[in-house]
Amino acid sequence: MTLATLYLSNDTSSRAVGADRLAKQLQQQPDVRLIRTSSRGAFFLEPMIEQDVTEGREGRMVWCNVTASDLPNIVAGRGGVPLQSVPFLSAQSRFTFSNFGITQPLALDEYRTRGGFEGLEKALDMARDSIIEELKTAGLRGRGGAAYPVWSKWQAARQTESDEKFVVVNADEGDAGTYCDRMVMEGDPFRLIEGMLICAHTIGATKGYVYCRQEYPAAAGAMRAALRKVEEAGLLELNGRPFAIDVVLGAGSYVCGEETALLESLEGRRGVVRAKPPYPAVSGLYRKPTIVSNVLTFATVPNILTRGGAWHASLGTDRSRGTIALQIGGRVAQPGLVEIPFGLSLRKVLDQFGGGMAADSRFKAVQVGGPLGSLFPESKLDIPICYDSFSDAGAILGHGGIVVYDEDTDMVELARHFMAFTADESCGKCTPCRIGSVRGRELLDLVHGGRATKAELTLLTDLADTMRTASLCALGGRAPYPVLTAIEHFPGEFQTRLRAQEQEQAER
Amino acid sequence: MPDQPSLDRNLDQLLSEECGRSGPSDKPNILKVLLAVQERMGYVPIRSIPQIARTVGATEADVAGVLSYYPDLRTVAPGRHVIRICMGESCFANRCSRVLRALNDHLGIVIGETDAGRRFTLEKVYCMGNCAVAPTVAVDQDLFGRVGPEQIPSIVDCYR
Repeated sequence: MTLATLYLSNDTSSRAVGADRLAKQLQQQPDVRLIRTSSRGAFFLEPMIEQDVTEGREGRMVWCNVTASDLPNIVAGRGGVPLQSVPFLSAQSRFTFSNFGITQPLALDEYRTRGGFEGLEKALDMARDSIIEELKTAGLRGRGGAAYPVWSKWQAARQTESDEKFVVVNADEGDAGTYCDRMVMEGDPFRLIEGMLICAHTIGATKGYVYCRQEYPAAAGAMRAALRKVEEAGLLELNGRPFAIDVVLGAGSYVCGEETALLESLEGRRGVVRAKPPYPAVSGLYRKPTIVSNVLTFATVPNILTRGGAWHASLGTDRSRGTIALQIGGRVAQPGLVEIPFGLSLRKVLDQFGGGMAADSRFKAVQVGGPLGSLFPESKLDIPICYDSFSDAGAILGHGGIVVYDEDTDMVELARHFMAFTADESCGKCTPCRIGSVRGRELLDLVHGGRATKAELTLLTDLADTMRTASLCALGGRAPYPVLTAIEHFPGEFQTRLRAQEQEQAER
Repeated sequence: MPDQPSLDRNLDQLLSEECGRSGPSDKPNILKVLLAVQERMGYVPIRSIPQIARTVGATEADVAGVLSYYPDLRTVAPGRHVIRICMGESCFANRCSRVLRALNDHLGIVIGETDAGRRFTLEKVYCMGNCAVAPTVAVDQDLFGRVGPEQIPSIVDCYR
């Protein structure tokens, strides 16, 4: 009897669309060896089953959107398409996500076979200042949203004298529409650990934390399991001393994704934003020098050490070096994870990778950068995906989330949804955000209910201006952007609601 | 209240365990303690605030402040199963409002409520990172993607 080796993703989103049910059936078949891998991120094709092509040749065959009735054919090797023929995947430049769909997330030997821990080995042989220099050459900017130069943070933490220093992973991926950090933790946890160890070695850290949102139980579980494996292999140590890394769960607060609020939460208090400076690199967790960076930032570091800063700098655009992990969602035909060098236009990303709109829907707007990101209408899609173009346009790339809305979307309702979100999530420390978001929601309630006049819209714009200029952090400061861009690009929808009200008054 | 002494004893034991595992600082980690209490009891009863405050060496206001801040900390016991519907943007774009309506109709409760039989509590959440297969509904730890309103009965009815 020949044994068919089949690969099936164990990612949360794959499981949410039936991967476990397929796995259960396959595991009952004696002629099948099932390997649960990470996901390639082509979620529109999931559940997806892969099989090695005939012996002696490289590559895999893939069966997409698999249902139970497809299994006999798959086991027999009938049908399927070569993996390289899926343009969504073949057109990407996978570096940080190079192991996805290939390795078993918790197989340390597989990670090492594919170059894992080479970055750390290299770093341990380098002078600490040279590591920082390498990151500077690489031009790596923080991937969580603020895009701050990573080398500069590391240098500040390295140069600050202290008996204790910390490395904290911001795994509170709260921006709706983003999931690449979850994928890294579930799918390639050793890469994150390697990045943390390189950072810890460079700055002289004494302890590490992964602050993971409670909504990601599988990610936290994978991180804990991976840490145990690394520890058992004797790799969880630096310069002869054990280096402990704890996985800590959040409790559902969006603002805890802001670095100082995260630190407050890690210390067990209300996750309220601290005023900066001092920055965490100088005074962070328990007021000690602390590097707080996003999951993806740490996961990008090992490749930079292995391949060199110049390699990283050769990808992307002038001030946005390397690759960006875009997470396409909403009403597109092909939602999923896309890793490409910075610089492609938003339009091309949506066409080439997003595959256009979902069946029976027409494009209305796209939002980039999570719930605080600006909306773009069709006419603004030629913007290149890089930090500068976006900030020049008053927009943000944020954490790379892209959500497409179709023509049936009510922009007033959407604007109201954004303000309600901010009102729910405001930490309450600064007045513009705490009160502004509630007043903003109330004003949009009036518009939504057809009870507002033009004066209320003007008031909303004024309020937005105050929030934008006077809020302490990006939650209050950015919250007005999706609302204002909705009004700017779709004024008709707001005006119509007003007119209805004014007509009503005239009739009375 | 007949169960008061046993609550106190359980809590005392739990709190002493939790406080034994202190972090790098001597200060108590209130959030960690509250999450541990909730893990054990399903919620954090308001009446346990003084006891928690005493044990961790914080003021009652500190404990109450942390308890009221985090959306995931509950002060009321939930139903046997917690259903969370995602209201993130990708789910919004994919019409999660229709799924929510189906949940409301099928369960007879709105967000924040528990049904009369204490079988289900319905909650909203902003994003579960399942955006590529939106809309998303979670029942306890089970996640469902690409959920259409018509699937709601078949999804929730198997949870007793």
